[in-house]
Amino acid sequence: MLRFTGWEIVKMLHLRSVRLGLAAAFVLPIIWTLAPGLKKVYGLVLVSGWQVPSLALLAGMEFLYPFLIAMAAAEVLGAEVSMGTLKPLLLRPLSRTRFIGAKLLAALFYPLLVLAVSLAASLLAGLPHGLGGFFGGTGLGAGGFAGVGFLTAGGALAETVKAYLLAALTLMPIAALSLMFAVWFSNTTAAALGAIATVLLMRLLVAFPALEPLLLTSYLNLYLHPKDLAMGLSLLFIYTLGFGLLAVMLFERKDV
Amino acid sequence: MLDEQSEANLLLENVGKSYGRKPVLERVSFQIAPGEVYALAGPNGSGKTTLIRLVTGLAFPNSGRVLMLGENIHEGGFAVRKHLGAVVEAPAAFYPYLSGRANLERLAWLSGLHSPAERIRDVLFMLELVAVADQPVSAYSLGQRQRLGLAAAILSKPKVLVLDEPTSGLDPDGIQKVHEILKEQAASGVSVLLSTHHLREVSAYTDRVGILGGGRLIDEVVMEGASERTRLRVSEPERALAVLQTLPFVESAELKGEVIVAQGPVSRMIKTLIEDGHEVYEVSADYFDLYEYYRERIKHA
Repeated sequence: MLRFTGWEIVKMLHLRSVRLGLAAAFVLPIIWTLAPGLKKVYGLVLVSGWQVPSLALLAGMEFLYPFLIAMAAAEVLGAEVSMGTLKPLLLRPLSRTRFIGAKLLAALFYPLLVLAVSLAASLLAGLPHGLGGFFGGTGLGAGGFAGVGFLTAGGALAETVKAYLLAALTLMPIAALSLMFAVWFSNTTAAALGAIATVLLMRLLVAFPALEPLLLTSYLNLYLHPKDLAMGLSLLFIYTLGFGLLAVMLFERKDV
Repeated sequence: MLDEQSEANLLLENVGKSYGRKPVLERVSFQIAPGEVYALAGPNGSGKTTLIRLVTGLAFPNSGRVLMLGENIHEGGFAVRKHLGAVVEAPAAFYPYLSGRANLERLAWLSGLHSPAERIRDVLFMLELVAVADQPVSAYSLGQRQRLGLAAAILSKPKVLVLDEPTSGLDPDGIQKVHEILKEQAASGVSVLLSTHHLREVSAYTDRVGILGGGRLIDEVVMEGASERTRLRVSEPERALAVLQTLPFVESAELKGEVIVAQGPVSRMIKTLIEDGHEVYEVSADYFDLYEYYRERIKHA
């Protein structure tokens, strides 16, 4: 399974939407540090390079990263359908559960990859502002950008990595959802649209306060609210598992 | 019948498929023995491709079952697909950024082949693809991709070979090559199921032809002996036919217009008819034209 998943990841890296997504994740932090309206939008003057990852995360998690994840996860299966390579694979003595399971793992790996690239680009973009200790905050820990006093480089790195990991975890249910739609529709665009529409609809459902704690979208900014960690991670896990299982079950008897 | 079934590499029992309320296939049954070549013919929309997808386990039937080497291919029997080689689309699809050889290596790995390098070399040689084996598939011509598809299908030495329009997009040499390989495969005991519009091409080595029309198997033509029949133009053909049908050495006899088409020892048939008082005007070999037969059959279906 490990080798099969590895191959799926390699195939995923050949997809145009994946390469485009990685390029966007790389470019966004660099553009953001150069943005003249930064102070106006975030009320922030950069005092340290450690604040750049937070800026990239805040901007990306709003829409860009969920969209990139939905597109890529949909194309993980959709590309096989459009290239015609799905059928030859399923003609081999290979269980469909194993096949879609490997695709799911590859799709779940993608948020980690996008955010790793984003973090690397953020640190690169932050270099001119310095990556040493500083008075202030990363925007991802206590006190926000103002911070609570002097923050060491190690402390800033730990806060940043933790926030990026949490952000990646919050994107995983969207990847699983998009793959499920890809199984259902056998089409990249329809699947990505389905996933994005579901996320947007969930965002609107905050108008029903009783539902809010159960909505996937309530935890997309979990990296900013660590107090919801236990509930948030449990729910995200349930969503990911649920969408993943649905994808597996749908694919098991799917006409190809 | 039970013995025949247990010997069949591929067995379809009352297979039916519908999309919504629209039936695409209804109660299709046939079986293919080891070494047998079975061709599926039918006009566009007759259900050939759906049947190929059902047989290979890519689609699921609404009724009936498909047994490959005794295992139901749709009920958890995916492991039985190690005996299956198939090309279900023309041209065959591969990862365009990988070379032909690399594509085959991955398929060999999925098929569980150990040390497949030699086998890959063999099939590339067999399909005359050695020169382009290390080029990316995106640079292949349509015919080369189609031949690579057949190479992939026979890679794991299957016992059942299923091919949808295997000669589509090939030049005459390529077509000849494919027919040679299919004949070799059948001779080595592989059951071959192919769908084709090119009936005259395949009639030379096909054992049976199933004619699909409107989602049903409307006829099955046994090719063995089909070209060994004789056309007899005689006086009182209807009475002559009745006589021939009573003779134990006459394997088959039917009236086509004013001509009797019969299979059996020619001299004995003529002698009997003359003794019965018939005049024999013409005796000629009946070259069975599968294509003509197919056209007639479809027209009246």
